[in-house]
Amino acid sequence: MSLSDSKKVAAIVADAGGRVVGRTRLQKIAYLLTVTGMEDGLSFYYKHYGPYCEDLASAASLGALFGELKETESPTTWGGTYSIFEADRPHDLAPASDVRRQFASTAARSDSIVLELAATAVFLAKEGFDDPWAETARRKPEKAIGNRLADAKNLLKALSEIETPRPLPNIA
Amino acid sequence: MFVLIHEDIQLLPPESSNNADFIKCRRHTQAHVGYHTLNFSTDNCCLNSQSANQKWWTRNESRISSPMTVQRIRDPLHNLIEFKADSELENNLWRVLQTRPFQRLRRVKQLGFSELVYPGASHTRFAHSVGVFHTARQLMEVVRSAGPRKDSRENCALAAALVHDLGHGPFSHAFETVGKRLSLKLADHEHVSDLLIRDGEVADILNEMGSGFAIDVADMVKKEGKITVHNAVVSSQFDADRLDYMRRDRLMSGSQHAAIDFEWLIANLEIASIPTGVDDEQTGTVDTFVIGPKAIHAAEAYVLGLFQLYPTVYFHKTTRGAEKIFTELLIRIVHLTRDESIEQIGLPVQHPLVQFARDPENLDIALCLDDSVVWGALSLMAEAKDNLIRSFALRLRDRKLFKCVDIRARISHEFDPESTGDIEKKAKIETCCAKVNEKLTEWNQRESGEIHRILVDEAERSPYKDGAGSIGPTERINVRTDGGKLVDLKQRSRVVANLDEFKLFRAYHDPGDLDALSTINAIIQGEVQACH
Repeated sequence: MSLSDSKKVAAIVADAGGRVVGRTRLQKIAYLLTVTGMEDGLSFYYKHYGPYCEDLASAASLGALFGELKETESPTTWGGTYSIFEADRPHDLAPASDVRRQFASTAARSDSIVLELAATAVFLAKEGFDDPWAETARRKPEKAIGNRLADAKNLLKALSEIETPRPLPNIA
Repeated sequence: MFVLIHEDIQLLPPESSNNADFIKCRRHTQAHVGYHTLNFSTDNCCLNSQSANQKWWTRNESRISSPMTVQRIRDPLHNLIEFKADSELENNLWRVLQTRPFQRLRRVKQLGFSELVYPGASHTRFAHSVGVFHTARQLMEVVRSAGPRKDSRENCALAAALVHDLGHGPFSHAFETVGKRLSLKLADHEHVSDLLIRDGEVADILNEMGSGFAIDVADMVKKEGKITVHNAVVSSQFDADRLDYMRRDRLMSGSQHAAIDFEWLIANLEIASIPTGVDDEQTGTVDTFVIGPKAIHAAEAYVLGLFQLYPTVYFHKTTRGAEKIFTELLIRIVHLTRDESIEQIGLPVQHPLVQFARDPENLDIALCLDDSVVWGALSLMAEAKDNLIRSFALRLRDRKLFKCVDIRARISHEFDPESTGDIEKKAKIETCCAKVNEKLTEWNQRESGEIHRILVDEAERSPYKDGAGSIGPTERINVRTDGGKLVDLKQRSRVVANLDEFKLFRAYHDPGDLDALSTINAIIQGEVQACH
């Protein structure tokens, strides 16, 4: 794991408003930044909780040790634990664009399950699925309940309105 | 009364066939009815010559196809594994064993290069997969004892247990590293397993259990779709995969570490409903395995056992060193093939490795790859014009591997010689390792020509399986207390609570390359001083 990877994670957290709640949220923000051409060098593959980057997970842990970011672990009401990441943008990195900050903070404010569904649909669309929403619902029946799929589409619609270097797949 | 039926297909000479596209065959059937033997022969079957290599046994031509037949496999770990005569599922799964994708697993070793360290560890993914099926059947007894459940989900889990490893390539995880570095989708075993289960001859057989059965099996392997307690048999802290490989790898390697009390664990497994969630939000509950209060020590040994296997077997420095050489060798083959420099690599154009490098999206070619293809190619590659391919092929063939410097061990000793686990000391160790890594990478890029003079290896393993997403009760081993409450095993075992991640950071160099060795030493020394 290189030191630059932990700075990369710190920058993502900083650009998302300085605070990201949850490992899943952090992964999906990083994925959507990568898809839209605003992050590079992270390699995502599909796991049952959607697009996932192993290096990002390791870099987040190391970033906390290196002092690049702060990770606070708290118990959830459902018996698990979740992490809150806080960071300032590392001084030796160039300032982020307004577009990147707007995009990352919009994603960070969204519900984590809705964000996971949206990121999964984007991943599946890029994999060539004709109906990525139907496939998302099929793969995640416990999560794709109520209005969550509609909310995920609305989230993607809002993100698509931001003029990113590469557009999101047109599935919202 | 018992009935055993065996069928053999004999290829007839080409001149006996009117159509050159088809190979005429004779089917020999031998039936044992009680103590009598009956023989039949029929000449009316044909195999398409073009597909004969790919689908040797078609759906209607399975080698042994009687619903009355019990099939037995003698296994070094489980002794007798039976595919029952009166089970439609097990008859079909026995036919899955006869398919080309499953037979390929006979040529993919479970532990890849581990046999260079443990000569006995030459067992295959085939044996492991059958063992996982057998173990899944034992776990299913636990599921059944907890109350009536849907048979279809049970069948799905048993089938998933059998076919979960279908997609492994040669030397499994080392091949996946090649795939990650070159973005080769068909080097990802989970992806290939998924393709093979959903479509093709395995799917055809599975779908005889009902329309869509193959998709359900593939979903269960991938932990997708509807989740029931049956998923725990295929994927959980007590899944059949781990319960087989821990014991099988221990047995076959000859290691005396990592013994587990399997029977006691199984006897004390229970089903409980536990919550699931994403980050701070709960998504629902899922039924899964938990252990009863009498098996805390068995569960503790189970977790510790895995942790003993990682440094001693799975992450052994010599095994990892061979994997690094294999990885560089394969990457070089792919690069030279793509550059139209095949004459440099020592292999004929029709060799499966060359074919795969040229057409990495072709599943049929990917299925031609296995350990034996690689071992068989080494002598050819040892004559290659390309320096890296020639020297690395010789190193693998003759076990003349690179020497290892355990960088993390050295740095850990510098900053925390008593292994206190102090957070500041840990931070220094991580920072120092990361800086050494960067310096080594820079040096490699600057000084290495075609052959990488220093091969860097990094890996880590958590005490519990798969904590990559949200960390919740499904990522733990849950113990039911005497009071009926579920608690994390860490709350009951101080040994498990104190387990840290196992991490490695090593560098490998040619034993004769003293310049590389002194560079490694100098970089470690320099960064240790800087971090102090």
